[in-house]
Amino acid sequence: MLRKKTCVAMLLAGGQGSRLGILTKEVAKPAVPYGGKYRIIDFPLSNCTNSGIDTVGVLTQYQPLELNSYIGSGAPWDLDISNGGVFVLPPYQTVKGSEWYRGTANAIYQNMAFIEEYNPDYVLILSGDHIYKMDYNAMLNDHIRNGADATIAVRPVPWEEAPRFGIMNTDAENRIIEFEEKPKKPKSNKASMGVYIFTWEKLRKYLIDDEADKKSSNDFGKNIIPTMLADQQRMFAYNFEGYWKDVGTIESLWEANMDLLSKPAPIDMHDKSWRIYARTQGLPPHYIAKGAEVTDSLVSEGSSIYGHVTHSVIFGGVTIEEGASVTDSVIMPGSIIKRGAVVRRTIVAEGATIGAGSFIGEETGNIAVVGHSVSVPAGVNVAAGVQVDAETTFEA
Amino acid sequence: MKDVMGIIYTGENDTRLRELTMLRAIAALPVAARFRVIDFQVSSMVNAGIKNIGVIMQKNYHSLMDHLGSGKEWDLHGKNEGLHILPPFLTRENVGVYTGLLDAIRSNTNYLERSKQSTLVLSGSDIIYNARLDEVLKFHQDTGAGVTLMYTKDPSMKRDELGTYLSLDEAGNVVDMEIQPTHPSYENAYMKVMIIKRELMLSLVDKAVSHGLHDLDRDFLMKMVREKQYTVNAYEYKGECWRIDSVQSFFKFNMDILDPEKMKGFFRDDLPVYTKVRDEMPTYYGDNASAVNSLIADGCQIEGRVENSILFRGVRVAPDAYVKNCIIMQDGQVHSGAHIENCILDKQSVIKRNAKLIGPDAYPIVIGKNVVI
Repeated sequence: MLRKKTCVAMLLAGGQGSRLGILTKEVAKPAVPYGGKYRIIDFPLSNCTNSGIDTVGVLTQYQPLELNSYIGSGAPWDLDISNGGVFVLPPYQTVKGSEWYRGTANAIYQNMAFIEEYNPDYVLILSGDHIYKMDYNAMLNDHIRNGADATIAVRPVPWEEAPRFGIMNTDAENRIIEFEEKPKKPKSNKASMGVYIFTWEKLRKYLIDDEADKKSSNDFGKNIIPTMLADQQRMFAYNFEGYWKDVGTIESLWEANMDLLSKPAPIDMHDKSWRIYARTQGLPPHYIAKGAEVTDSLVSEGSSIYGHVTHSVIFGGVTIEEGASVTDSVIMPGSIIKRGAVVRRTIVAEGATIGAGSFIGEETGNIAVVGHSVSVPAGVNVAAGVQVDAETTFEA
Repeated sequence: MKDVMGIIYTGENDTRLRELTMLRAIAALPVAARFRVIDFQVSSMVNAGIKNIGVIMQKNYHSLMDHLGSGKEWDLHGKNEGLHILPPFLTRENVGVYTGLLDAIRSNTNYLERSKQSTLVLSGSDIIYNARLDEVLKFHQDTGAGVTLMYTKDPSMKRDELGTYLSLDEAGNVVDMEIQPTHPSYENAYMKVMIIKRELMLSLVDKAVSHGLHDLDRDFLMKMVREKQYTVNAYEYKGECWRIDSVQSFFKFNMDILDPEKMKGFFRDDLPVYTKVRDEMPTYYGDNASAVNSLIADGCQIEGRVENSILFRGVRVAPDAYVKNCIIMQDGQVHSGAHIENCILDKQSVIKRNAKLIGPDAYPIVIGKNVVI
């Protein structure tokens, strides 16, 4: 018999993240590298651990291999415990048949048995798409104090951008009175962050009803939350003021990496009371060679820098050869930038090689991308905004 | 290597390391920007598939225990086997203070008896190596020797009045040993890595200790070589190795590893060196930072100038600070305008604004833990 948990977290990690283009061709979005040594999923997982939530279900569906092996036993996040821990939950077969997760709500519905094992009072719903440090426990305390059925984390967005978001209109007590998806004339600038706490008993009922409704698209934002609001359930907003970055597009992923280089950085990664944990490979320290130049950059373990690096984020195990120059770029684990190559405003994915003397990206314009394990030949040009994958051909 | 166990002895003499080993054993000395000396011995064993490793502790072992923890980082936290920390204790069978390695093993016979593996790899902790111990073990099995000793011809391992040196015959058998000779005459330096059958070790140790003997090399190995009851064979280690027995040799190891060729030969992809993880973010280089020929761990903030140096996790070098030929351990700080050369800064030490500290090339200045200058 498992011991009861106050709150169980369910992390929706099944999305393809198609707006990240070739970066998510081989890996699920939550497994995309970020910030020199992390993956996006390190943020919600570390937030859980730091918030005292020790039972986390990770719902996977799209390209789960790398994500599964990354999560492993959960040890990097102290989630390798006997009563609780992290669980990877892919869709599965039952006597009634099998199906993929049809929507965010359906994914939770299909894993109700997992949640019930812990008999929780509350369920925290998270996504693996954002970079932020948040105390979910403070939000849970708010939820309990309000006697809420649901609490939705919101953050203020600039008014002119509000029409792009799901906006919560609240009363003086911060109780949600209306939810508008992408309103033309927003009445509030409180945008939903996709972080929800539900009283499990309530959510359970709504998930079952939603599943029975054949017209529903089984989505939290489109179905569950509007239905609960219509039923006048007690729903509150929880205001979050800190750094929060959606890394759903190539440009925003690049920006989020560059944010770490601004002074002061908008997200404090040195804070020892709220560490972001990551699975590390046990690489030696990085080496900066004679003649190398590294300024305004982050460099991680196991890298060897012989060339020039400016305003860039260099992950572990990267080699930047002599005479190569990397500017305004993100170089993911294990990539090699060969002699004399020039890389500007580019994201180079894991294990890629940039041939000697090639020019990748441009000083301005859109971000260029070199895909997972792609080998760019020597002496070629890749223009701004171009995505290079294994099928890309180069003129001789 | 299910049938092999390892023991690492960490009670070596450390007086010549002065302040550096006042609070810790040599095994726990921070080296190469993110490791401790013992990481190398443990990782070599783990890379050879050894899953049962005992670490015999003697002095100042708190920081060593803190570092090794449950052995998780080395995948040594299994249910049955794994890492066994063996601190001294006072009972009838354990004398608490070990006068030598033989004593230490004798005092831990319980652990040795309880272990199931037939072969034992015994290693010291003051020689840094990264060895394919699986090959040494294969050599040991193929030759059928009673004992196999690992040695090196590396001349930098020779020390007057220190160490054990081997004379070998053509078949590679040890025919003579010199222990702490005034001037070693044999070129083969014993690396304090020995392979022996566990039960043979147990019975011989018991015999030796009960006859009032304490020193493993002198009273045990030398005796074996003389009496010829068991063959003592030797395996040549051809990789890089360093004896960490003084401030100078500690400094030299760290500086040697800055050579990219040596580094590549030593930190091999097929022989990873594991260590405790501290979850620091990558190192940040500021707008005017200048770092060359340096080995730098995660979590540092470098705004000034760094040359030929080893920086551990969380070190801060302020703008206009200049660090040359230095080793700065975890969380050290060098403030603006300070200039340090040939210095070893122990953990959390701080060099304040405009301070100047220049040690002679051959004799680095050691700044103790938490010292503010």
